Amino acid sequence: MTTTTQAYLGVDLGSTTAKAVVIDESGTILAASTVAMGAVSRAGMRRAVDEALSAAGLSAADLAGTVSTGYGRRLVPGAQRSFTEITCHARGTSAMVPGCRLVIDIGGQDSKAITVDDHGMVQEFAMNDRCASGTGRFYEVLAQAIEVPLEEVGELALQGSNDLEISTMCATFAETEIVSLLARDAPIADIAASVHRAIASRTLALVAQVGRHTPVVLTGGVARNPAAVEFLARALDTGVLVPEHPQITGAYGAALLARDAGRRGRQVMDDVAGADDLFPRPPETHSCGSCDGTSSTGAVALGLPVRLGG
Amino acid sequence: MSSGSAALEALRAAARDPRSYIRAWRSTHPGQKVLGVLPMNFPRELAHAAGVLPVIVPDDQEPVTEGRAFLPEFYCGYTRNLADQAATGRLSDYDALFVADHCIQLLGATDVARELDPARPVFLGQLISSLNEPWAVRKTAEMMSELRSEVERLAGVTIEDTALAASIRAFNRDRALLREVFDARRSGDSAFSPVELQDIVAAAQVMDPDEHRELLAAVLRDREATARDERIRVHLSGHLCHAPRRELLEVIEEAGAVVVDDDLWTGRRYLQASVPEAIPPMEAIAQWYADRNVAMPCPTRVQHDVDWDEWLLDSVHRSGAEAVIHLMPKFCEPHMLYYPELRRALDTAGVPQLLVETEHEGIPLETFRTRLEALVERAHRNRPAYA
Repeated sequence: MTTTTQAYLGVDLGSTTAKAVVIDESGTILAASTVAMGAVSRAGMRRAVDEALSAAGLSAADLAGTVSTGYGRRLVPGAQRSFTEITCHARGTSAMVPGCRLVIDIGGQDSKAITVDDHGMVQEFAMNDRCASGTGRFYEVLAQAIEVPLEEVGELALQGSNDLEISTMCATFAETEIVSLLARDAPIADIAASVHRAIASRTLALVAQVGRHTPVVLTGGVARNPAAVEFLARALDTGVLVPEHPQITGAYGAALLARDAGRRGRQVMDDVAGADDLFPRPPETHSCGSCDGTSSTGAVALGLPVRLGG
Repeated sequence: MSSGSAALEALRAAARDPRSYIRAWRSTHPGQKVLGVLPMNFPRELAHAAGVLPVIVPDDQEPVTEGRAFLPEFYCGYTRNLADQAATGRLSDYDALFVADHCIQLLGATDVARELDPARPVFLGQLISSLNEPWAVRKTAEMMSELRSEVERLAGVTIEDTALAASIRAFNRDRALLREVFDARRSGDSAFSPVELQDIVAAAQVMDPDEHRELLAAVLRDREATARDERIRVHLSGHLCHAPRRELLEVIEEAGAVVVDDDLWTGRRYLQASVPEAIPPMEAIAQWYADRNVAMPCPTRVQHDVDWDEWLLDSVHRSGAEAVIHLMPKFCEPHMLYYPELRRALDTAGVPQLLVETEHEGIPLETFRTRLEALVERAHRNRPAYA
């Protein structure tokens, strides 16, 4: 495929996955890729970029700008500059779900709560700073301990009762608790449900640092887990929106940042302010999936409310 | 190596290895005592006037090992480090330990030191913290007098007022020169990195004031002013009684920020107030104690007409800081108590801010870097060029 319009690349090199998104001048996603890695990996990142470019029918030479983000953001060759995941997730998610006010991103090794203001700019943010509790790693620990494929633990958890005691403080100790529950013959569905409830509580504590705002959007690989969304919605006592491709919001935001700099006629590398000069802007459409940008799409039914600190 | 570089290296060595400095000082001052002083308000001039080397015992940034047995994790890193120094013999270079403050965690660390080495004199004084009380002046004077007597007992000498006045002048001269450096930074000079400045101030807390001032003067003669670049200007706030880890300061400037001012213990907090020289020296020391909280408010003091948040906003205004980074040691109760007011005041003023809870060990630098960069990205949008 060839394109007559400018194309921009965003690369999100996270702790466990590499994501690449190619967009055109209008912000429409031309192609996207997600590559699972064992850890931050140049090879994984190159594969993600190659796959995205190939799917878009482009080569690196065709790109008008590239922005990188994620833990490995400094490893991305050809990136004119990098932005933090916080800025990129806010940018990408605001574009995918116009009007969103709270972005919760749960990645492989960290989780973030980001509030965005009326113009979609980062207002406040909080990150877990040293604990895997509440991150994708926590779900991996669960999947390994109960010997269920990671992609199936969500459906399993939705079938269980969530009244088992699980530590929310440490992924390692939680594994010990899970093993202890297995030894007491607790149903794995109940264990899975209880772990999901515990993680949602942990996320709620993160959200409390920036304040509850709605609409809420969950991004990151964990957003594909229906039980994670369900329990988080219960914890927040509100619906939680999920874009169809929640893993690529950071890369999409990075690509948009590259595009935005181009729109202003600046080289990306000279666009020191980056995300800061993006707004106000009209709501943008995107074409990556079924999310139509309204606050009802992807909403999860409310469950029992959990109050802050409760 | 130039004379300025050599002087800076000497300051850095004293800051990072005070025990070697103490041993060197003892070799040239045979028979004289070394007093370990715990922050924040002990007037070192009293010890200096008695021929004693007063060293503010620093966090030596070593891992907490045997000291873990004596203080639990909810004590701050500094006090747990002090307990570890006591438990592993690293306080043996001090002939006595004096504290003039009432931080419960600091008192706990002092008690550990006293318990583990009963032979070393330990004096627990408490300067009044409620500074608006009608009796505050009298109580301060009484405690200063008691501190003087205890120092005299330790040194075995009588402190003469003339000697005390001379010591006051020596410390004032050193603080004044330090203030010049900090004022220059606030005005746009970035000749010194945050780590260099921290070493310079930390050295002042260890060294003889005249020796420190001479070395600092040599450094300044050799160091030309450097215009600040376009990075985001930040004010560092917190760490009231010990130094933040150096790697944190390095990451701050690597992340696209430049430190323009601070209220850190190993920064302006140490040097902001001088002791009056025009009044009798004991009165002057008591006045200095009262003045310190006005010059730079401390959350461990109660003074109704002084607010840290107002001071911080004024400071941010003076320096042109575009963001504030709160460096809060876990678990510094005074800082925790005041933080909501600081946050509210800065929010109201539209100043971006970032709270960083620091620990003695195990700081997740990469996460810290990401959060800092996000602060920088956010602060950029306040610049007129991007309005």
